[in-house]
Amino acid sequence: MVKRIVLIKDTAATGPDTTRDFYNRFLDGVREHKLLDEVMVVRAADLGYYGHGLVLKIMPNNIVYHNVQNSDIERIISRTIENSQILDDLILNEKPKQIKIALRNCGLIDPESINDYIFHDGYKALSTILSEYTPEKVIDELKKSGLRGRGGAGYPTWMKWKSCRTTRSTPKYIICNADEGDPGAYMDRSILEGDPYSIIEGMMIAAYAVGASKGYFYIRAEYPLAVKRIQEALIQCHEAGLLGDNILDSKFSFDIDIRLGAGAFVCGEETALMASIEGKRGTPHPRPPYPTVSGLWGQPTVINNVETLANVPYIIFKGGDNFAKIGTTSSKGTKVFAVTGKIKNSGLVEVPMGIPLREIIYDICGGTLSGKDVKAIQTGGPSGGVIPNKNLDVLVDYDNLQKMGSIMGSGGMIVMDTDDCMVDIAKFYLGFCVEESCGKCAPCRIGGFQILQILNRITEGKGKIEDITTLKRIAVSMQKASLCGLGQNAPNPVVSTLNYFEEEYKEHIINKHCRAGKCVALLTYTIIQEKCKKCALCFTNCPAKAISGNRETGYKIDQSLCTKCGKCKEVCKFKAVSKE
Amino acid sequence: MSKFNRDTFITIRNQESADQTDYISVGMSACGIAAGAQEVYDVFAKQIKSRNFAIKLKKCGCAGMCFAEPLVEVKANGLPVVTYGKVTEEIAMLILEKHVANSQLVNDSVVNIR
Repeated sequence: MVKRIVLIKDTAATGPDTTRDFYNRFLDGVREHKLLDEVMVVRAADLGYYGHGLVLKIMPNNIVYHNVQNSDIERIISRTIENSQILDDLILNEKPKQIKIALRNCGLIDPESINDYIFHDGYKALSTILSEYTPEKVIDELKKSGLRGRGGAGYPTWMKWKSCRTTRSTPKYIICNADEGDPGAYMDRSILEGDPYSIIEGMMIAAYAVGASKGYFYIRAEYPLAVKRIQEALIQCHEAGLLGDNILDSKFSFDIDIRLGAGAFVCGEETALMASIEGKRGTPHPRPPYPTVSGLWGQPTVINNVETLANVPYIIFKGGDNFAKIGTTSSKGTKVFAVTGKIKNSGLVEVPMGIPLREIIYDICGGTLSGKDVKAIQTGGPSGGVIPNKNLDVLVDYDNLQKMGSIMGSGGMIVMDTDDCMVDIAKFYLGFCVEESCGKCAPCRIGGFQILQILNRITEGKGKIEDITTLKRIAVSMQKASLCGLGQNAPNPVVSTLNYFEEEYKEHIINKHCRAGKCVALLTYTIIQEKCKKCALCFTNCPAKAISGNRETGYKIDQSLCTKCGKCKEVCKFKAVSKE
Repeated sequence: MSKFNRDTFITIRNQESADQTDYISVGMSACGIAAGAQEVYDVFAKQIKSRNFAIKLKKCGCAGMCFAEPLVEVKANGLPVVTYGKVTEEIAMLILEKHVANSQLVNDSVVNIR
């Protein structure tokens, strides 16, 4: 009978993987103690710890040892395994860094079964409020929790609800904004696909609190599986009478429909989103009046992000005070981040507000994929900015990120290492915003295009030093004069990269040099004659026939023909091709 | 289906808790499916049926560890709940043969245990 399971994993960042070797030694030790029947030794693929040397996890006691040496095997077996003693010098006492609230059911429940959701405390919050809470008390509970909108701007959710509740006009609407479009962000999709019922329950609670009778999911059509799961969930809710008239024998009636977005980024902006639902062209219009006063079809409307709504049932069920215990003074609760880019373990992390950025990158996600230094982290998608390496210790919450010149945004986090060029990054995001600009207001339409042109020029080596001033001027006018968040925030990547990496822009302009080697036009490939063995590999492989010479005289690259594809450097076995 | 009320919730919770015995749960969000979760699910479905394993096969959403998709969570034979990562059709067979049939965890694939 197996009494204990020992999981082994070498988590050192450098050196060869010693997991297998240690596993064999440990197994020998177990054999010597004649414990083979009682102890199961397993090599793990990942234990969630990084840079801790050899890590042992002993179940079912859940003891974690780190920096274990071969010499420790004997005492681990004789003391911990045989006698349940804990070795204090090896123990790793780390509180779990992640707290799952919005993602509490993701990966746990079957998203296609309402019964599984009910089993995992689903609809407890709804049945409580329908029988015991007045709408005011629900809003109060939200106020206590300090929940702020998770879609980007961070507006307190209770204020939105209260404003909608106090507007005297019916019908009122609830909209779930599931038009997630930031490059590299997909936390909403995961919740929609993994836990559709909690979003629906969140919408119902919101509807009860503000007095709404109708709700809409606005989901982008590029998420077919999410749409399917929500559709199925809505059908099951209808069949169970959890949507429709007199829900749970109360006076509360509510129904939800789905509207698909055709993939315009600007439709994530609330006024454009409502125009899109109404069947109009998806362009924003000026606020005020805010949607909570005059929204969908001129009626009071609450628009909440997917993640915000997924938090709501938890807040009601566990109490606002409990939620407010997590996080910082100004930002409560947790936030889901989609960590992507040059990161070892990409994926979704849900962390309490106020966690240092460094811990997310290194402790949870295991550092960069290449092992190189982090150069900067881009947060908030195309509306956000970069946080440079030197500021990695910033505590992540709404206000701190804003101070750094970035935003929380919907929670995309793109990690860049020293191989990434900051001008190129700014160009990528500007290109995205220019393509997605709806064209209604001039600052966004023309300003974005002009910035992109200048950035293109700089990366092609045709930049002028005045360009930097021009960039800053255009950025300010866009921020001040654009109609909606898209235009106001579009220059953010440029502003923040200029702020932290101005010398890199200058290098491009003055020295015509890209230190990351990303800007193709600024690169030159040359053959280092001293290292060249005249093997002709580059000569035969060059697709542009830009390499001339023969095996007697050696080879050289004709710069006017070179397309800078990098093939010669790739095939050279003697590292005789330099890229600068 | 008849309309739910508070009593139905209680019935469902009792029923489900009796039902939450041994299971294999495959992460079937877009990220998992893109990494091959559907194929893995099909292997489990076919083998469980043809070899009469007394284990329930479930679908679940994304647990956040996208780097290790497809993810498979197994609760069987009184062992702790184990999550396997980067599961291929071959590893799926190993999970059935070793973990489910013989209570032996599969080496080099465990990403979490609780």
